[in-house]
Amino acid sequence: MEVESYKEINERILASLGRPSLLYRFVILLLFIGTLVGVTCWALQIARGLGIAGYVHPVYWIIYLTNFIFWIGIGHSGTLISAILYLFRAKWRTGISRSAEAMTIFCVFIAALFPVIHLGRSLIVYWLIPYPNQRTLWPNFQSPLMFDVFAVSTYFTVSLLFWYIGLVPDLAVIRDRSQGFRRKIYGLFSLGWTGNHRQWHHYGTAYLILAGLATPLVLSVHSVVSWDFALIVIPGYHDTVFAPYFVDGAIHSGLAMVLILLIPLRRIYKFEKFITLSDLESIGKAMIVTGLFIGYCYGMELFMAWYSGNRFEKDMVLFRLMGQYSPSYYLALICNIAAPMFLFSKRIRTNTKGLFTVAVFVIFGMWLERYFIVLGPMAQDFIPYNWGTYFPGIVESLITFGSVCFFFFLFSLFAKFLPSVSIAESKEDLKPLLRKARTGD
Amino acid sequence: MAMIRGLIGVFTYLDDVLSAIVRLQQEKVAIQNVYSPTKRPEILEAMKTKPSRIRLVSLVAAILGGCSGLALASYAHLRWRLITSGKPILPWIPWVIIFFEVLILISVLSTVAALLIAGRIPRIHYAKGGYNPRFTEDRYGVEIYADPGTLDRARAIMNESGAEEVNEI
Repeated sequence: MEVESYKEINERILASLGRPSLLYRFVILLLFIGTLVGVTCWALQIARGLGIAGYVHPVYWIIYLTNFIFWIGIGHSGTLISAILYLFRAKWRTGISRSAEAMTIFCVFIAALFPVIHLGRSLIVYWLIPYPNQRTLWPNFQSPLMFDVFAVSTYFTVSLLFWYIGLVPDLAVIRDRSQGFRRKIYGLFSLGWTGNHRQWHHYGTAYLILAGLATPLVLSVHSVVSWDFALIVIPGYHDTVFAPYFVDGAIHSGLAMVLILLIPLRRIYKFEKFITLSDLESIGKAMIVTGLFIGYCYGMELFMAWYSGNRFEKDMVLFRLMGQYSPSYYLALICNIAAPMFLFSKRIRTNTKGLFTVAVFVIFGMWLERYFIVLGPMAQDFIPYNWGTYFPGIVESLITFGSVCFFFFLFSLFAKFLPSVSIAESKEDLKPLLRKARTGD
Repeated sequence: MAMIRGLIGVFTYLDDVLSAIVRLQQEKVAIQNVYSPTKRPEILEAMKTKPSRIRLVSLVAAILGGCSGLALASYAHLRWRLITSGKPILPWIPWVIIFFEVLILISVLSTVAALLIAGRIPRIHYAKGGYNPRFTEDRYGVEIYADPGTLDRARAIMNESGAEEVNEI
């Protein structure tokens, strides 16, 4: 970080909360319209039934499950980056953690919408919550779906609290520099924070504990999501490598999304002093590692199909390599493994355009990966009589498009109304003013 | 009995604040609050803060949370028995996940609640006393309450330590 004083940190970061430009309003409007398109399609689906979402036997929920895993995967990196890097005292965390955490919250929120969307009767989703009822009916706690309910809701709550607790001192900074209604709103959410030594002391301890608790949680949640599949006895799903495979994929896509969000943010709000090129390069390096591990997992799937001698596994792999959905597999290979390898070049890794391009490839590739993982085994299981084909239709595609717009809509609002770089942590990283240093005593 | 009043010293430099804290402590003046724009371990050290009890709350809540997750799952399975060919009604192994998730959830919620209680927030009248908006920008503040005689000594100490200004509360 290259800023020189606490005052400069305040001024530079708070400048991003100024009056929105015409371009910003136009973008927000477009994203809102995109979101409305998705909502309209969902309403249409509720009114007309799931048939219009392209559900054909034996393939159900494909796009919605794909989107669920995709969004929740992206949502992993935020808390992971923030919590793990905090525990390891990594300095490059400061500039990126706040936006990454916000990304997590929006992604998990959107991900949690997809199981609701793919329920035909979305209004009875609360039946999954274990609560006393007149039928004495309780959910099955052995089911991976229940694991999901607990894991995702816990993850969302923890991520939200971790993000909010980190925000409180910064909200107090904004409160003290605002007037009128704005001051009241920020004052309400800053909880009357004054920054006295008692508050900082307990805050430091609580934040450390939250980071410590969030770290294993991050790893557990996507493992639980992977067990939605791995516990099903269908070739292509029933695989012990799924938990680390999914977790790594989640981190891979999350890092890519962090780059996609931070590179424009850094440029638009002139945050070059907070989100340095070296920080972005560190993310690029992490993507090389996650990309290589994804390659290992893909390789292990092929190897185990051959080595196990299980003919159903072998057929599944052959279907993946040569079946009707093979283009998505090869595209995913290119995007997830080949593209990040360009980051071995320092020239590309230290170039924002290069990083951004690789990140876009990875995001697209990770969506495709979820698509072929979910779709393939469901379309071709043990019984040839049961085989079927599926290609996305207009309704589910527009709901997916709406979810993307909704995500960027939420993130744009966040970037305009809340500090996207942590003010308190940026100050903590800066050497404090000392009279000794000033006078040379 | 002497009337109790307060003083707030505003400082620009960290070493000045630390020096004021140490000298005030030597003079047995009780310091109510030290405000800073960010967390500074040097200040916490000078104030001789004890390890936060939040850690204990988190631990106890984690244990209780994990157990309550198991209790909920057991209760649900005993109320709605899923009898499937020799499989146990209470399957402990898959419940490790429920145990873990509820453990984390309850521990985190309790940690946040403990932070609010220990940090004495939310506060509506936060600006009462010596608080100054400059403390969230780039200034440090030392707030004390004492009888007039002690306050005079404290004022002198803060001025000598390099306070930018010392105001009465």
